[in-house]
Amino acid sequence: MAFKDYYEVLGLTSGASQDDIKHAYRKLARKYHPDVSTASDAEARFKELGEAYAVLKDPEKRAAYDDMVARGKGGQGFQPPPGWDAGFEFSGRDFEAGAGMDQGDLLDALFRQQARAGQKAGRRAQGQDHHARVMIDLADAYRGAQRSISLRMPVLDPKGRVTMQEHTLDVSIPKGIRAGQHLRLAGQGGPGLGDGPAGDLYLEVNFNTDPLFRADGRDVYLDLPLSPWEAALGASVTVPTPEGPVQLTIPPNSVAGRQLRLKGRGIPGSPPGNLYAILKIALPPADSEAAREAYRVMAKGFDFDPRTHLGGDPS
Amino acid sequence: MSKLSVTLIHGTVVEEEVALTLVELCQACNADEKYVLEWIAEGLLEPVGESPQHWRFSGDSLRRARLARRLTRDLEIDPAGVALALDLLDEIAALRSRLQRAGIE
Repeated sequence: MAFKDYYEVLGLTSGASQDDIKHAYRKLARKYHPDVSTASDAEARFKELGEAYAVLKDPEKRAAYDDMVARGKGGQGFQPPPGWDAGFEFSGRDFEAGAGMDQGDLLDALFRQQARAGQKAGRRAQGQDHHARVMIDLADAYRGAQRSISLRMPVLDPKGRVTMQEHTLDVSIPKGIRAGQHLRLAGQGGPGLGDGPAGDLYLEVNFNTDPLFRADGRDVYLDLPLSPWEAALGASVTVPTPEGPVQLTIPPNSVAGRQLRLKGRGIPGSPPGNLYAILKIALPPADSEAAREAYRVMAKGFDFDPRTHLGGDPS
Repeated sequence: MSKLSVTLIHGTVVEEEVALTLVELCQACNADEKYVLEWIAEGLLEPVGESPQHWRFSGDSLRRARLARRLTRDLEIDPAGVALALDLLDEIAALRSRLQRAGIE
């Protein structure tokens, strides 16, 4: 176990009062809560905060911690006595991306099973529902996909001891799934008690970042660069979609920022989403005499001031 | 650690195909009924149906209830505060998706 200075984690010194500790924790917890914060290290920071607070908010644990730190000072290879933090080393939650159980849920499940193990035989109850996350590509939402998901879940062995069991599920991700949606897998959660039914497993589906496409609900967005003459004169251009390239007609006098809708080319469903091509105008570089001459011809050919709306003299 | 393998499993999309009962929602978000009733009183969850026995929760309630449970547990916020936080988080999410759609973020 790596030593962490819990006071430092909360931005305090060892003389802090219990009120200071509570205030510091609340303030930092709000700042780094993974549901609230966008900081990339929010999850790790929040876990650290939870761990520090779990010890320091409890005067007995705090005293034990202070004592341990005092004795450990100056010594090499600092080792806390075994089990000194038993029972609260699992504080905080696992926000790991990809497939993985919410650690808080996992522990709840574990404790409930232990509690049940002590109860009288013959009781029946439904198993816990479990949650995990799974990442797929946008293309998978267009055609459906299969994913193998490995979960570790606490299971009671015949002697009533808790062991971790790795559980591999081959899951069918249905076509038309959207980011943030949940898939319910009936009976794939925690085992029931007695002859009670097993709980369900909920999978939250999210998309990997795509280099071209951005999904928002069932609609999908794509930046489509055009040359100035394509935008001005109109053109027929090839546009990639997650289902393969299509031909798109660009109307004359198109301007940057205009969105061309490809109806029904978004994420499938009833109704299917749309694919929107957002037009961007790319200027060719003036990196040769011929190119510069072409720009000069343009300058002569137009009576065009892009700054009329700014007022003042055109110059 | 022992290994266990299972054949291909098909699930149902909660947001599209499922309406949860009060008991199912409590079980799915691992929260006591007491909390869920408080969240309903705050308007954070809006079930359809006349009485708790007949309540049905839309699929999106699962996400909201789980988030509410995490905020309650981790930040010690009361139900009114949780409801406010959820509304603000939804608003931020909507603004972010506008930025993302435009390719800014």
